[in-house]
Order: sequence, then structure tokens, then C-alpha cells
Amino acid sequence: MHIDQYERYWIIIVAAVMGAFFAALLAGLLIFGVRLPSTPDSSYFVNPLALDAEFGEPGLRNMGDGQYTAHIIAQMWTFDLGSDETYKTYFEAKYPGSTYSGVDAGNQVIHVPVGSRVVFSITSRDVTHGFIIERHNANIEVVPGHIGQISVMFNEPGEFRILCHEYCGRAHHQMHALIVVEEV
Amino acid sequence: MEAVQPTSGRDSAYIRFPALSMLQSERSLIGIHMLIAFVALSIGLLMGPFQAFRRSPFVTDALGGQGIAMPIFSYYYQALTVHGVLNALVFTTFFIVGFSYFVTQRSLQRPLASITAAWIAFVLMFVGLLLTGYAIVSNQANVLFTFYAPLLAHWTFYLGLALVIVGSWVAAGVVFATYAGWRKDNPGKAVPLAVFAIVANYIMWITASLGVAIEVLTMLLPLSLGIVQTTDPQVSRILFWFFGHPLVYFWLIPAYVSWYTMLPKQLGVGLFSDAMGRVAFLLLMIFSIPVGVHHLFVDPGISELAKVSHSLLTFVVAAPSFLTAFNLGATIEKAGRKRGGSLISWVWKQPWGNPLVAAQLCGMLLFIVGGITGIMNASFTLNVALHNTTWVVGHFHMTLAGAVTLTYFGIAYWLVPLIRGRRLISNRLALAQIYTWFIGMLMFGAGMGRAGIDGATRRTDLGASGVYISDLWVPWLNLSALGGVVLLISSILLYVVLVGTWFRSTEPVENEAPIETEGPASSTPALFERWGMWIAIIIISNAIMWGPVLLQGLDFVNGFFVPGQPGAAR
Repeated sequence: MHIDQYERYWIIIVAAVMGAFFAALLAGLLIFGVRLPSTPDSSYFVNPLALDAEFGEPGLRNMGDGQYTAHIIAQMWTFDLGSDETYKTYFEAKYPGSTYSGVDAGNQVIHVPVGSRVVFSITSRDVTHGFIIERHNANIEVVPGHIGQISVMFNEPGEFRILCHEYCGRAHHQMHALIVVEEV
Repeated sequence: MEAVQPTSGRDSAYIRFPALSMLQSERSLIGIHMLIAFVALSIGLLMGPFQAFRRSPFVTDALGGQGIAMPIFSYYYQALTVHGVLNALVFTTFFIVGFSYFVTQRSLQRPLASITAAWIAFVLMFVGLLLTGYAIVSNQANVLFTFYAPLLAHWTFYLGLALVIVGSWVAAGVVFATYAGWRKDNPGKAVPLAVFAIVANYIMWITASLGVAIEVLTMLLPLSLGIVQTTDPQVSRILFWFFGHPLVYFWLIPAYVSWYTMLPKQLGVGLFSDAMGRVAFLLLMIFSIPVGVHHLFVDPGISELAKVSHSLLTFVVAAPSFLTAFNLGATIEKAGRKRGGSLISWVWKQPWGNPLVAAQLCGMLLFIVGGITGIMNASFTLNVALHNTTWVVGHFHMTLAGAVTLTYFGIAYWLVPLIRGRRLISNRLALAQIYTWFIGMLMFGAGMGRAGIDGATRRTDLGASGVYISDLWVPWLNLSALGGVVLLISSILLYVVLVGTWFRSTEPVENEAPIETEGPASSTPALFERWGMWIAIIIISNAIMWGPVLLQGLDFVNGFFVPGQPGAAR
């Protein structure tokens, strides 16, 4: 079979470029510690109908040394972060005297100090949801029956939304929560 | 008038097809597939721009804070389901099946092995379409075109999809039998490249659609009928994406058939390398399936090893598209130089004023963007930032809605006149349609892509109350809505041209079907057409690449305890 000389060069170039891309990915994984969201043992199952026993209470826990864990239960159509604070209470405390005018769907708020590392563990009570933190490399497909885990470093102060990125029914677009990264 | 000339000789089934018209049997069979495809597309297309308008903060503000209403289907996620199912499943499948019949019999110059079986395939697919359509229109299947469990649609949705798939298998069988008949009559000859590609495409399609058929028949259909009460969402996602990635190649390969075998004829040159074209199609057939975990990079129930290995093979499946870029680039350069082009000027020394050619060249330009963004998606380190954002929507509107759809338009602009027996109503309008589509899609894709980098979530009704929109997304969402305006104009032009050609055109057909009836000029390895061997490789590679993923997902002791959620989707 005849292959043109230039096409041979092209094949070598393409193979080299794609090989370099893949080497960069492996370097990210093995050297720079990029992790894909998964449970430590991915055969780990959790029964969505028995989350209290198998997953525990949702909530943010301070493990000391700037390390936190956040247990989250996603359900139609909220992220249960175990927080009593909602957008309404947060914004009304932030701007005293004002009344929160947005939709009050009980969206929750949590606070962490800048420089914290938070390990998020998230599962679903009902359907498949999504989990993304804006402007951070945190992205999990929240599949019922499994726990998704990812570790996120918060280096910048600010307000960052957790958004549901997987269509989960009628009020999917109202499913978000807020992480406030505070200056210390 | 119909110049059927069965000839004697060894090839008893040989037919000389009319150059500027169709046989009656072709006309009705191909015509009905194109009719369904373009009627489905007309509804599906209409939804698209309105989704972009509804997501645009500019439009929402102009309407006093309430997102624009969707046409026909008032519920956003219903309209989104319509857009996905009609454009990506119905339009593509009916178009591909009809186009594959036409190219196969014209290329081999013999009739289809069984016209009856072809009509049975059509009836199965059409009944499937009606069932699925009923479920969607009656607001009982707002599950989007990926229908992830345990969101649950009405059972007719799943049964309909299963029938469409089974119908497409019968259609594949008709093509295989026609090809087998040709092989018997032409021992030792290499088949024309177009049919080679179509056979490869159907082998890949049947293998891949087994995944979704198993998902629908063993999981979703029993769940929606109440035969079982619980399911396993992770397993259903694994089975869906066994199918979901090759699905995009099922759309792409017919466009490649046009680029590899028809564009050279339209440009008046030969293909640079027939043999390397065959290599590309074989690579696509083999490597498009064992890569699907790249859609599941952030799923919890899949090991990192599987994610990394599927990522590697995704880079391998980029190879046939790089080969295509070279092969077609060289072919187009040859054509440009023939028209007086030099080292650089061959680029614009192309018939950019011919809509049939311009559609394909514009499609290729969008495919460069689509291919590069695809490699970014396949890099799991980047995928963690991009998964399920509007970036992904931008990506596949460069590939499917760009390269594939533009090429299908280019095909329709010679195929529909042949079916009707009249020439295209206006080359100028067709040209305007192609270029507005190209520009509109670039604007739309740029907007969606950029907003996605800042975390704009896809499949989200951003025009609804209680939604969160970051300031960072606003200009880009508005840009994609502006692209939507251009695309709406382009869609209208498309139907002006098609309907006008059908009802108003009086002139005789001017463009022959650009179909190559000869095999390769130089010899190609006989190995290429040893399909049994390639199928064995497909089975083994997928057993290695998907077996562990599925086994890890399947746990009948701990899994399968998620109840269906029929009410959630409404």
C-alpha cells in the first residue's frame, strides 16, 4: 500500500503531538496530583433510601490545620449542606436593613476561611444531579447509589456558587448553593 | 424515460441508474426518509434559537425579567428534549438510512438486496418515531435525549426508541446484503470507498446500539411499565455511553463519505489517497466505541484506570480525523492549484460560490474547531473544569450542528432536486443559507464555549426565576443569542430553498449525484475488507475496555435499589 512521503511525516507529527498531550495528562495525574472525582474504592455503594445510616448527617466539619470535610446530600432541588444559613439570612445579614428579593428556595450557605482545603463528599437521595463550583476545578456527577469525592483548595476570597449541572427535573435551575470564602 | 438497462454478464444485478433523475423505487424510498428527516428537523431547529434567547440575560431584561416563552412546547425542558431527540436522533437517523441506501445502490450500480426489507425497516422506525413523539408531545417524557435513570418517561418513549434502533438494524442488513451480493459478483475487487465507509459505519452502529438497546429493554422499559421497581443509574449511564460516543461517529461518517468521495468529484479532482481513507474509516469503526468513558470522567462509580485508558484511546480515535485533515487538505489543495492557485492562494481558489461545495468546506472549518475542543474535552484534567458546562454545547454545535449538519445540507441540495426531478430553486439563497449557518454557529459556539469556561451549566433554564447567572456569563450568553438570531434566519432560508425547490422549481435538474462507481485506482490490501476479523477485534477490544467498567458497576447485592422517578421529569 502506497503512503505519500508527506503523509508519513504528518502521521509521525500527529502521533508525537498526541503522545505529548497524553504524557502531560499522565504527569498531571501522577506528579501534580490531579484527581478525578471518585470514591477511594469505587465499588463503594450507598443506599439512597438509607442515607442516614450509610452516609450520615450532611455538614461542614473543621478537621484542623485548614482542612475541612463537607458532606452534602443532593436532592430535588436543593444541596443539603447541613447549614441553617440560607441566601435570605446571609444577604440580609450582609446588607443590614435590606430585604432579600430573590427566590427563597431555602438555598444554603457555608463559610470557609481563605486558604482552606475542603474534601467534598456528595451523594444523591433521588435522581442524578450535578455538582460544580464556579471558578474552581470541582466537578462531580452525583449518581444515586454512589459517593463522589473531590478535594478543593480555596485560595481566593469571594462568593462561589455550587451549581447543579445535571438536569434533575422541574426546578433543576433553582438548585444551587453558596460557598463564602472569607478573608482571615 | 427511465433508463433501466439490466445487462447480461456475470454481474446479473447490474443497473445503469439515470444520471439526472431517480428510478421510481429509489424516489419513494429515499424521498420518504428525507421527508421525515427534514420535517423533524424543522421542529427541532425552531427550538434551538429560542433556547438561546431564553438563556440570554439581555432578552430576559428586555421582557421585564421573565425569560422569553418557548414556541409550541411551553416547558423549557420539554422543548430541550424535542431539540435533542428530533435533531440528533430522528433527523440524523432517517437521513443516514436514506442516504446510505442511495449511495450503496448507486455506487455498486445494483438495486438494494431487498426493497421489502427496506420498507419494513422504515415502518419500524416510523412507528418508533410516532410512539416516542407521542410521549414527548404529551409532556410525559421530559427526560432530554440522554434519558438518564432514574428520571422516568412514559413507556412509549423507550419502546419507540427501541423500534427506531431495531429498524436501523434492518436497514443495515439491507446494505450488508447488497454489498455481499456485489462481492459475490466481483470477487477480488475492492469496493468503492463510499460503500466501504457505509458498511464500516453500520458495523460500528450495530455494535454500539446494543448498549442502549440493552439499557432500554432490560432497565428502562421494565421500570417504566412497573415490572421492576428499582434500577441502577450508574449502570444505565455506562450502557448509554457505550452507545453515546459512537453515535456521534455514526453521524459523522456519512459526512466523511461526502467529503472523501463526493467533494473530489464536485471539485473535479481525484481523492489524494483512497487507501488512507479506508484506514481512517477502519480506525473510526474500531476506536469509536472503547472511548465512551470520557463522557463519564466525573462519575463516582468508575475507576480512574478506566478513565485514563479511555482517555488514551480517545486520543487514538482523533488519529483518523487527523488523517482525514491531511487527505482532504491535499485533495482540496490539488483542486485549488488546478484552478490556478499557488502555495497559499489555493485556499481561496475554490468554488466558494457553489453551495454544494461551500457547505462542505464551511463544515470542515467548523470541524477544526470541534476537533480541537474535543481533544480538550478528552483531557480529563480539563474535563473536570468543563464537564456539563455550556462549553460542551459549544463543542458539539461545531461538530454535529456544524460539520455534520452543514454537510447534510450540502447533500440535500443535490439529493432533493434529484428526488423531485427539478433543479434547486436558487443557488444564491442556498449559498446565503450555508454562510449564515456557518457564521451563526460560530457566534453561538463561541458564546457557549466561553460562558462554559466560567461555569455556566448546560441544560439549565436560565430564563426561569430563581436561577443563578454569573456576571461573567452575561456577554457570552448574549453573544450566543445573537448567533441564534442568525441561525433562525438561516433555518428559514433552508426551508425556503427546500420547499421552494419542491413546489416552485420548474427547471430541469443540473447536478448529477456525485457518486463514484469505481473502486480504488491502485490496489488496496484485501485485509481491509475482511470484516470478520475487524468485528473480532471490536468485540475483544470492547470486552477489555468496557468489561471491567460494567462489572464494577453491576452489583446486584448492593446496587439496583434506586426507585424510578416518573414525576420528577414533569
